[in-house]
Amino acid sequence: MNKTILATCLAMAVATPAFAATVINLDDTAHTLVVTEGGSQLDVPVGAGETVEICPSGCFVTLPNGDRAALTGTERLEIKDGRGRVF
Amino acid sequence: MRLTVHLLSRLFAGLVLAVFVLAPASLGAQENAAAGTGRTPSPEIVAEQRGKITAFAAEADRLEGRMRGNLDDDAVLVEVRNALEGMTRDLIASGVAFRPRLAAINGRLDEIGPARGADEPPEPPALSEERQSLIAEKAEINALLGEAETISLRANRLIEEIARVRRELFANTLSRRYDISAAVSPAVLKDFAAEAGKVRNSVSSWLRFVVSYKLRWVLLATFFALLAAGVLLFGGRRLFGDMLLADPAKPEPSYLNRLSVAFWSTFLPSAALAVFLAATWFFYSYYGVLRRDIGEMMVTLFNVIAIVFFVYRLSSAVFSPDLPNWRLVPMRTGAARALFWLVCTTALVMGIDSVASKVNQVTGSPLSLTVAKSFFATIAIGLLVIVIALIRPWADEAGRPRRWHPLFRLLLFALGGGTVLAALLGYIGLARFISQQIVVTGAILATMYLGYLSASAISEVGAFGRTSFGRALDRRFHFDEATADQLGLALSMCITLLVLAVGIPLILLQWGFQWGDIRAWAYNLAHEVRVGSISISLVGIASGILIFLLGYFGTRGFQRWLDGKVMARGRVDAGVRNSISTAVGYAGIALAALVGISAAGLNLSNLALVAGALSLGIGFGLQNIVNNFVSGLILLAERPFKVGDWIVAGGVEGNVRKISVRATEIETFRRQTVILPNSELINAAVGNWTLRNRLGRVDIPVNVAVESDPRHVHAVLLEIVNAQQGILKNPAPSVDFSGFADGALNFVVRAVVPDITGTLAFTNEMRFRIVERFREEGILLPAAPPRPAPAKPAGA
Repeated sequence: MNKTILATCLAMAVATPAFAATVINLDDTAHTLVVTEGGSQLDVPVGAGETVEICPSGCFVTLPNGDRAALTGTERLEIKDGRGRVF
Repeated sequence: MRLTVHLLSRLFAGLVLAVFVLAPASLGAQENAAAGTGRTPSPEIVAEQRGKITAFAAEADRLEGRMRGNLDDDAVLVEVRNALEGMTRDLIASGVAFRPRLAAINGRLDEIGPARGADEPPEPPALSEERQSLIAEKAEINALLGEAETISLRANRLIEEIARVRRELFANTLSRRYDISAAVSPAVLKDFAAEAGKVRNSVSSWLRFVVSYKLRWVLLATFFALLAAGVLLFGGRRLFGDMLLADPAKPEPSYLNRLSVAFWSTFLPSAALAVFLAATWFFYSYYGVLRRDIGEMMVTLFNVIAIVFFVYRLSSAVFSPDLPNWRLVPMRTGAARALFWLVCTTALVMGIDSVASKVNQVTGSPLSLTVAKSFFATIAIGLLVIVIALIRPWADEAGRPRRWHPLFRLLLFALGGGTVLAALLGYIGLARFISQQIVVTGAILATMYLGYLSASAISEVGAFGRTSFGRALDRRFHFDEATADQLGLALSMCITLLVLAVGIPLILLQWGFQWGDIRAWAYNLAHEVRVGSISISLVGIASGILIFLLGYFGTRGFQRWLDGKVMARGRVDAGVRNSISTAVGYAGIALAALVGISAAGLNLSNLALVAGALSLGIGFGLQNIVNNFVSGLILLAERPFKVGDWIVAGGVEGNVRKISVRATEIETFRRQTVILPNSELINAAVGNWTLRNRLGRVDIPVNVAVESDPRHVHAVLLEIVNAQQGILKNPAPSVDFSGFADGALNFVVRAVVPDITGTLAFTNEMRFRIVERFREEGILLPAAPPRPAPAKPAGA
């Protein structure tokens, strides 16, 4: 029964919520996102096939094709054919 | 009873798992639902949000104006900053609200497809119109999002500017020099008298108002407040009874006992008083008894009373001037008494200073009075701190008083002296800041130190098992000593972490750092600590370890299930079972390790460089180990012997007990366990008596005297062995006349037995019968060879 409790605690600890928004680039080319977080605007490059974590506390993102999106820090943003979809 | 406990624990585990898996999912779903505006996102969202965003722009203008107009009022700046932070959050929420509509537009555009080229069949005009309108709407949404982004940028920059302005204000307050000659002149006394008169008038007019119009409400409010406090106090006493009072008769209370008494005797009365004061204020303001200025003064007065009372109870618990046995810090009694009074006086002075500041602010008193008040208060506190530093609290072995630790003394002298000096020189702001920090940070640090002491008290051997909490757990789960100790250790580590996690942010907060900053630092510390080009993530490492442990226990459980339920039922051979479950175990652990390492985010490419350099040496050194490892895998697959077989290998004979990946354990008949490396078992010949079956031939050599008749002996021996039970008739037993060695006739009796591992009884019985028959038949066993003559001593 000790093992059961131990296993439960481990599972609880592993199921932590996400801390930042994840950007996944599913294309073969690198893309650059313009991320406005807090009081600064940065260019964030995402290589081909790379996954980056951005803005833990909310930001505005400009995608490569000109679309904009607002993120709160818990989403998954997938870039495909230069277009982004937020989950 | 045990069954239900087992079942309940599994149920509980399952429930908790379910909660923790579903909670983030449901939170995520909730957020998405909140972000969306319903099942079918409608175009009205655009108009709705446009209005909101315009409102935000106007609000940003207003807040900026307010900020610029109040550049020297810290409270207003904080208000504006909070409003701006709320606005940035609302802006992002606004942006998120567009998401479902954008997704719908993109989906519909994908359905419609791109505009047809010149050489393709034309599409219906409705479709191209729809496409145009959708594209236009998307452009509008993007424009609105761009506006929201701009406003958000502006708001965040304003927030940064406010932080900068506040820092400058603070620095100015500290470095501003006042003219204290005005503070110590007799004119101040006149101002003070005038001030006191104003306050007296104000309070008496309020009292007259209350007595004439609001007496009933005041009595009612006081009654309710007393009721609430009384419930808390008496209820707490009933519940926690003996934990509240320090029993003077008890000679040597344990440290945890002292701590719990200290905690409850501080917490409960302070909480009761706080409840009484809070309820009083609440009901007074609810019934409209308070006037604005009286209300502000009352709030400050109540805060001060609560805090000073709390410090009084805490010091009396920690220093315990009357009951030396219950003291939390081992001090001399005289020093404890002195420190108790000094600490209470310091808190009292700070409290009076605080109330006086509020009164000054409310009645708008002249600057000279404010400066004078701060001057005397800070000098008083500085002197008190210096007196504390002069106390000699510890007693050495001979009983003589000893001073504080020299560094601590130095610190106290520096702080106290610095306060007095700053006040005397006129830097009143600086002096106030230092004295406030001494008291507040000192209180927080003292509490943290007590928490740390309690953690180390719990971690002592056996201490956890003696607490009532530990005893309750023991009754429930029946731990043994070692487990209870480990639990105590884990608990003490948790307490230390909790103390740090609560205390440090508290100190930082009241030094003026923002909660957002602290959270950002904590996040960075947990997630990414950059040292040069190496990035270590504590959360990553912890999750890697946890995943590995999870995989390890999962593999063990799977192994047990496979072995116990699947293979045992399927009547699989024991050797095959062992092989499969060992292989599954190793595969599972290797997988868990790999997943754990990748979850920890460790970049193994750096390790590869080092490994490459050392590979030659490692290769040579690990040669044998790898040899053994591969041999072990071959053994598991090929199974030339299984657990329980009787084998002869490496000059050792015995039963196989365990086949591991590096070595095999063999238990000799003298119960010695020999650990043979697997390479020996693969590279050399191994004899296995029980590989295919348990049959074996027993050879019993018999020597008879040279004078005997060999044919007669042969017939007798054959008769004996054929009459023996428990041997196989096919192949039939035989007797060999093998030779003439050792001055005798050599015979060998050969018989095949069904179980070669249990032949002792058979051979003993055979030999008994042979001797008996030989004696009956008069066949002689060979005479002992003559002993060599003893060497002649030289000279005899």
